[in-house]
Amino acid sequence: MTPVTEEILLDRIKSGKLIEDSSQATERYIEGLKRVLTVSADTELISAPAYMRATRDFSTLPSVNNYITVMGIVQDELGHAHIAYRMLRDLGVDTEELVYGRDPKQFKYPYAFDVPLESFTELVVANGFYDRAGFTLLSDIHKNSSYGPWKRALVKVDREETFHLRHGEKWMGVLSRDPEKKAEVQRAVDWMFVLTLEWFGLPDTMKRHKEQIEYGYKGSTNDELRQTWMSATVPLCEKLGFDAPAHYDKEKDEYVIDCPFPARFDAEEKRWAFEEGAISWDDVIQRWRERGPSNEEFVDHIQRGYKELYNGSSN
Amino acid sequence: MSREEGVREALKEVLDPEYPISLVDLGLIRGIEVDGSTARIKLTYTCMGCPATDMIQDDIRDRLLLMDGIAEVEIEEVWDSWSRENISDKGLVQLRNVGVV
Repeated sequence: MTPVTEEILLDRIKSGKLIEDSSQATERYIEGLKRVLTVSADTELISAPAYMRATRDFSTLPSVNNYITVMGIVQDELGHAHIAYRMLRDLGVDTEELVYGRDPKQFKYPYAFDVPLESFTELVVANGFYDRAGFTLLSDIHKNSSYGPWKRALVKVDREETFHLRHGEKWMGVLSRDPEKKAEVQRAVDWMFVLTLEWFGLPDTMKRHKEQIEYGYKGSTNDELRQTWMSATVPLCEKLGFDAPAHYDKEKDEYVIDCPFPARFDAEEKRWAFEEGAISWDDVIQRWRERGPSNEEFVDHIQRGYKELYNGSSN
Repeated sequence: MSREEGVREALKEVLDPEYPISLVDLGLIRGIEVDGSTARIKLTYTCMGCPATDMIQDDIRDRLLLMDGIAEVEIEEVWDSWSRENISDKGLVQLRNVGVV
């Protein structure tokens, strides 16, 4: 069989034909795809212990039904992670090693999940903001991905993410009607809104992995996806009476961020140091690399049972 | 159309919170009674630990209160057992289309 060249690959993608396996792509395409899939799989996976962590203080839950809902969401997220790792395995990746053998800092999920969600209130804002970010990214992949298996798998994933979103938006609304709870939600919005803006990554002017669009792993750029997220989230906050540091600019026909961005974040205090002004993206990347307070705890949560079961003898 | 049939038709517009299938086609509606301006619904779930009980009830209430002559909705959770046999043929096709069932 003739090996696929870059030219053949790009022609195939441009013609709208999907890539079904590694024999139809170049190594460069497959390696890039693995990188993107790993981010997606790790993000889904780590959201499970992160959302479970939020229910530790039972007194913050309105009722036991809410606990069951959260566990339903956790189960969905594990299912989504499984789908993405399964695709990686089909591409020849050792997923046992990937999930259970990596050091916590090697996981590739957004920094936001490293900051612990410590109450039901913070959890529902995460469902409203983080699941919206996940939905924004995955819908774009679902619509535009050149990789057939992923495009198809996302039909179910998107449906389930809609449910998580609705859970978040509904409970942000319910809590907004109680003055004390409303203040708690606002506090969560204050630190989580900007963390979610960061989720979409470097601005387009600084982006290194250009092949993401060229190869059709996704259809929209980081800045476009950030706009899509804001176009849903800013109106949600306005409708429920919460302040968010962004607004729609009619003349520019886009959302504009109203705070220094990117900025220094104090993860222990869950506070942005806006008074220091904007920092460089290099500083942000440095913080991402060092990971945040709950990184080790959450990865340990995932790996503990496996290590106990195999007593470290599998490796 | 009887008033109960009217309510059933309305419930065909109420979708499961996760998948694009109506509560009627999913087989969750186990009884409908209309008494004056009150609609009484017997409802079950696909499992005991259904994560969406509140949302399903909210959606039923919101839809039925839009109907002429309905001012109150009483929902009784009957916890009848549910299995995939209870999904309508149309529902099975809808679920298959999103990669479920």
